[in-house]
Amino acid sequence: MDFGLTDEQQLLLESLDELLERECPESYIAELDLNHQPPTTFRRAMNDAGFGSLGFPEEYGGTPSDALTLVMLAERVARQGLNNGYGLELLQAMDILEFGSEEQKTEILGLLANGDVPFALGFTEPGAGSDNSAMATTAVHHDGMVTFNGTKTLITNALQSRYLLLMAKDPQVEDPRKSISMYLVPMDAPGVTTNRLDKIVWHISDSCEIFLDDVTLPESSLVGVKGNGFKQLMRNFELERLVIAANCLGLAQCAFDDAATYAAQRVQFGKPIGSFQLIQLKLTDMAIKLENIRNFVYKTAWMVDQELPLKSQGALCKRYSAMAAFEVADEAMQIFGGVGVTVGTRVSRLWRDLRGHRFGGGTDEIMVHIAGRQIVKDHS
Amino acid sequence: MKIVVAYKWAPNPQDAEVAPDGSVDWSRAKGAVSEYDPVAFEAARQLADATGGEVVGLTVGAASVDSPLARKAALSRGLDRLVVVADDRLADADGTRLAAVLAAAVRSIGDVDLVLAGDSSVDVAEGQVPMTLAGQLGWLGMAAVSGVTPSADGVVVERDLPGGITTLALTGPAVLAVTTDAVVPRVPGMKDILGAAKKPVEVVPLDALEVPDVVAATTLSGSRPETGNRRGVIIDGADASSAAAELVAALRTARAL
Repeated sequence: MDFGLTDEQQLLLESLDELLERECPESYIAELDLNHQPPTTFRRAMNDAGFGSLGFPEEYGGTPSDALTLVMLAERVARQGLNNGYGLELLQAMDILEFGSEEQKTEILGLLANGDVPFALGFTEPGAGSDNSAMATTAVHHDGMVTFNGTKTLITNALQSRYLLLMAKDPQVEDPRKSISMYLVPMDAPGVTTNRLDKIVWHISDSCEIFLDDVTLPESSLVGVKGNGFKQLMRNFELERLVIAANCLGLAQCAFDDAATYAAQRVQFGKPIGSFQLIQLKLTDMAIKLENIRNFVYKTAWMVDQELPLKSQGALCKRYSAMAAFEVADEAMQIFGGVGVTVGTRVSRLWRDLRGHRFGGGTDEIMVHIAGRQIVKDHS
Repeated sequence: MKIVVAYKWAPNPQDAEVAPDGSVDWSRAKGAVSEYDPVAFEAARQLADATGGEVVGLTVGAASVDSPLARKAALSRGLDRLVVVADDRLADADGTRLAAVLAAAVRSIGDVDLVLAGDSSVDVAEGQVPMTLAGQLGWLGMAAVSGVTPSADGVVVERDLPGGITTLALTGPAVLAVTTDAVVPRVPGMKDILGAAKKPVEVVPLDALEVPDVVAATTLSGSRPETGNRRGVIIDGADASSAAAELVAALRTARAL
């Protein structure tokens, strides 16, 4: 088993290091977090350097890449302290590249190349989330048009997105697996209104309620096949869980490095606190967790590259990574003591952002629901 | 215009270990394109793109300078092709010897209009090689070059010197050492890195080059610059105002204020 990097991975990570040093210093991230702004200039720089189209087919100007390399890049960006800085928008665009019309592909790739977030995913509702059968937002097709009504909530990046990738159901179809379709809805379409939700995590990504009141668009806003929306969405969910896990890994590594450095410098009772065994115990257990997360994430990516069936692997990986990474950040906070909770310290931001990953992209508990039934099925 | 970029495959300073006595241990450092050389790569690429020319990378050194990683690292930075002279007889070569080998390699490439190099190497930092190379070739040599742009019959060179900025027109071949901020080097992307493996590489045996003998100097002794009586003082920053007072007191004690 080879744990080494390929020449290409090593060079790519070195390139990314150069880019992060220039375009994404801690001062930049702290400013974005403070002002609740998205990392647009960094995203643009990533696109200019070709990172923004990694994994896309060549016919769309992309460079095909393996999942392991993508995961390493997502980890590296997160290790800089930037939450959700790389990877997720690639997966979103893949939905459009795979199922969208040529017009939709051109539009979305153009926005992505400009460093913009092309669309927000309109899935969660006040009465529906992981239970998609409870979805209440409707899409009624009539005379070549389609009219939407309903409410979405906790929609990430809605304010900075040009479009909403809306999941809505046909009220005439009873089977929830066949009633949901995917649509690309302009955020400035008449009848779309938003309400920003203040939250204590993920400050660089806004979260909104979105109200759709008789929003009427041409049927060309449909993405893919009518009634296949949920199936289309699920295509990239496993990869999304993997990218989230890689993001958690990077953020936790950042928190660990900060805490270990602080422990080596902070003096109490005449000695650096890192010389006390209780602090060493924390650092040791944090290091073990990081090693476990890294192996879990890399192996899952390797399985994707080998085209092995993931079954419950993605859910197991996401659950473990989100929980263990938060535990690492929590212990990092403990090592920092009172300093850690003051506004402006990086460790406090990492702690906040990692907490969000225990429900973003699926809660810890729904991961049990997904993995647990698969485990039982495999042993029945 | 045929432009050669003379660069060094040097130890990566991020891997260097600095001992408490100030000595630097490079033994565990992996190789990388020397830190200031990417500026020369970028300046050459921009010049070649503007004139429709070719950029040839050139490096000489021990056998280890020619690995697949070393080739791709250089070729991903905008080179069209690469020429390598890798021989363990050059492992401890001094700047004059390296410049003599580089000059022989430039002559073997042929029809070279310009050689660009970084300001100095990250590990030795003598800044001697480019000008010695110019002397070996019998060409004009200029250090502190902060800009190169094409002109009708050559290039216009801008130099950032202590007395101010000078602009000069060059028509003949020259060796230019560019400053670290002459241009901002591009970050190689995935396409550049994957494409690097497909670019041509020519390995030139040292014995195939006509390199004049260079008498090497013998190092008699070495010393590091005086760093003064350094003391590490750690101030508890939990309370900002008392930490500031403590810092000021420490600086006064050290007579820094």
